[in-house]
Amino acid sequence: MIEERLVLKKTAIEKINELAAALMEMGTLIAPVQEAVGANFKTIENPQEVSLDFYNTVLSPKFVFFPQTENFLSYQIAKPFTNAEPVELAITPVFLFGVRPCDTRSFAILDRHFEASSIVDPYWRKRRENATIFGYAFALDTPPDNADFYSMLGIHAADTEGSDIFMVRNDGELLLKSITSKGEQLLSELTLLQETSSDDENYYTEYLARGREYKTRTLCLEQETAAGKFEEIFYNNDFWGKTASACLSCGICTFVCPTCYCFDICDETMFKKGTRRRVWDSCMFTDFTLEASGHNPRTNVFQRLRQKVCHKYSYSPRKYDVISCVGCGRCVRSCPVNIDIYSIVSSALKI
Amino acid sequence: MDFEPKILGIACNWCTYTGADLAGTTRLKYPQNLRVIRVMCTSRINPSFIIRAFQLGADGVLIGGCHPGDCHYNTGNLYARRRLAVTKKILNFAGLEAKRLRVEWISASEGNKFAEVVREFTAQIRNLGPQTKFKISP
Amino acid sequence: MNGKSCCGDIETAGDKMTGFHEIEERLKSEAFRLLQAGEVSVVLAYGKGTDERHPVPFAALTTADVENIVFNEHCTHNMARYLLRYPSGTKIAVALKGVDSRAVVVLIQEGKINRDNLVILGIPTNSMRNQQNGQIIDARTTCGIANPVLFDILLGEEVHEATVASPYDVLAPYEAMDEDARWNFWKTELDRCIRCYACRKACPMCYCDPCFIDVTKPRWANKSPQLAGNLMYHLTRFQHLAGRCVDCGECSRVCPVAIPLYLFHKKVAKDCEEMFQQTAGMRIEDKPVIVDFRVEDSDKILE
Repeated sequence: MIEERLVLKKTAIEKINELAAALMEMGTLIAPVQEAVGANFKTIENPQEVSLDFYNTVLSPKFVFFPQTENFLSYQIAKPFTNAEPVELAITPVFLFGVRPCDTRSFAILDRHFEASSIVDPYWRKRRENATIFGYAFALDTPPDNADFYSMLGIHAADTEGSDIFMVRNDGELLLKSITSKGEQLLSELTLLQETSSDDENYYTEYLARGREYKTRTLCLEQETAAGKFEEIFYNNDFWGKTASACLSCGICTFVCPTCYCFDICDETMFKKGTRRRVWDSCMFTDFTLEASGHNPRTNVFQRLRQKVCHKYSYSPRKYDVISCVGCGRCVRSCPVNIDIYSIVSSALKI
Repeated sequence: MDFEPKILGIACNWCTYTGADLAGTTRLKYPQNLRVIRVMCTSRINPSFIIRAFQLGADGVLIGGCHPGDCHYNTGNLYARRRLAVTKKILNFAGLEAKRLRVEWISASEGNKFAEVVREFTAQIRNLGPQTKFKISP
Repeated sequence: MNGKSCCGDIETAGDKMTGFHEIEERLKSEAFRLLQAGEVSVVLAYGKGTDERHPVPFAALTTADVENIVFNEHCTHNMARYLLRYPSGTKIAVALKGVDSRAVVVLIQEGKINRDNLVILGIPTNSMRNQQNGQIIDARTTCGIANPVLFDILLGEEVHEATVASPYDVLAPYEAMDEDARWNFWKTELDRCIRCYACRKACPMCYCDPCFIDVTKPRWANKSPQLAGNLMYHLTRFQHLAGRCVDCGECSRVCPVAIPLYLFHKKVAKDCEEMFQQTAGMRIEDKPVIVDFRVEDSDKILE
């Protein structure tokens, strides 16, 4: 439990763009903007585009630390040896602005995957260290989106875990509270922010308390119970067959998910030059488990869907002691056939 | 430096390639910008070859086959005609200059026609300039 | 049925169609009858989802499952894409709207399913609504036909509209653009593609195993979502679907970054109709235009 510091600042919501401009002076700002399809995090080029009027983004912010394409090596094919040089990861400080509590939690989950045992992914680590995260509480005066279920995973609507600075809206004002020393340092440098009163302090504290009471659809979920239950019903083809009957196996769920991290490493060559890249992959793709021999252990859609759900709710708890899902609801909203992982978990537990 | 177009030619073995050969043996002059790939029949041509060619830097693609009705395999070029017509429409709608892809029927005895088409097409492409839209920079 | 539409759009002024509730009742009763009599082993229709706005594609296997079947204006999914999941010879009943039936016609034309193994429950409707934004789905984003072209049992009255919009009207501004403007448009759109392949999975006609883009020899495009690879993937897909795409619009509806793929598919369909005088998916006796030819095809099409 991070000791809460006493730095609380504020700014008017209409002055968000000034805050954005100030952050852009200090580094790279990644914040939500409105697009045709909904809100999405983007590297900001014009401070006017930043908007906090959104429920949650379509794509998750995981790309900030785990880009869809990450270059590892560049090489030149030559005789007698091909030259290969590592790509230096040169990045400026990054400010990730407007991240909902379910997403701030997702970073900690991905930390376990990218920094498991003694092997630390240097790209992940460097990007994580370079970023300051502005968490953003959900609004408490409107009901949650039908698709959300972060309460089931023990995440609160105003959960500060994973944020360096946490933001709470008070009508036309935005309160910003430092959570870590990195956050405190940054808040002190942002001189355009206003000082706050004890009323603001009380509002903030109350907001967090109310956030704990605010619930999405939820059920009582014990990590151990879930892990065991999915192991138990692994061979229940009836259940998985029915669950996956509508699934297209398209992979959108894994692309929008904040905790999905499967990737492929590809050498992409043109003529004699090329780059070795890490690119997002999806366990839902048919050829994900295609082996060099031609054998594919997961040719059926239900096998792949089963794997995805079990990975999140069973294998991850067993291996990393954490459920790899934050209940953000993106997969439910984006699924073309309206498959709902919450319903799957809920039904499974009843078997 | 003056722009020298890079033109990919795909010629069917029985008609156009033989016609090109005839142009050569009868010492007809035509621009050297054409690099020819021989296929057994125009119906072998996968439209993705054409997209690939443009991505790899071709400024123009010239496809030559037997006259409809004269295909060595009877019907190959009849399928190819439809297929390549669709490819042309797709490239056009995507915004690539439609004139960069040309399909001609040139028989084995039409050495003259081959040379003439290459001359004309090369001049056209030279006029259009380098193809930059699809080209991937390495 | 709630007649709400957003953004002040003008509602399609179609003829009165049989109400969704009535269609649902008939659908359930037919499904029950067919399953009970053992005439089919599965009924492909729609089922209850998290709420009314989000029905799910549903396969009823027993008479008990029939209770779960629904039909409303949000049942936009094209059920034809599930037909090939079942072993050859399975007797399937499937609920198909106008454009969905065209997709099944193409599958029959291509020999992927046998007409005798299908019981087609046709649903005439012109009032379907997009699940995301609630807007009416019409000829601007799909083929716009209201009545199934192939069916065994019709679950409602055929819809006869006074004016039938052409599905190609929406192309006019794009056809009018000059090449550079069109290139800029498609370059911007296709640059956003994240190569999730939902478009391919949603399409009933994309049943190739393996899909060309997954093949490693030859490697047509890199895995990373860069413009060059996105172009190769999409343009080749438009080619592969020429004369087969029935303009159901599912690819565009499922796209998570809202690329208007339907525009390109419509253009290719329009060109194929003009060049070859045949419309995809209308009669099971037809051959798809790209696997067919006429000796008298005009060379003008190559200009």
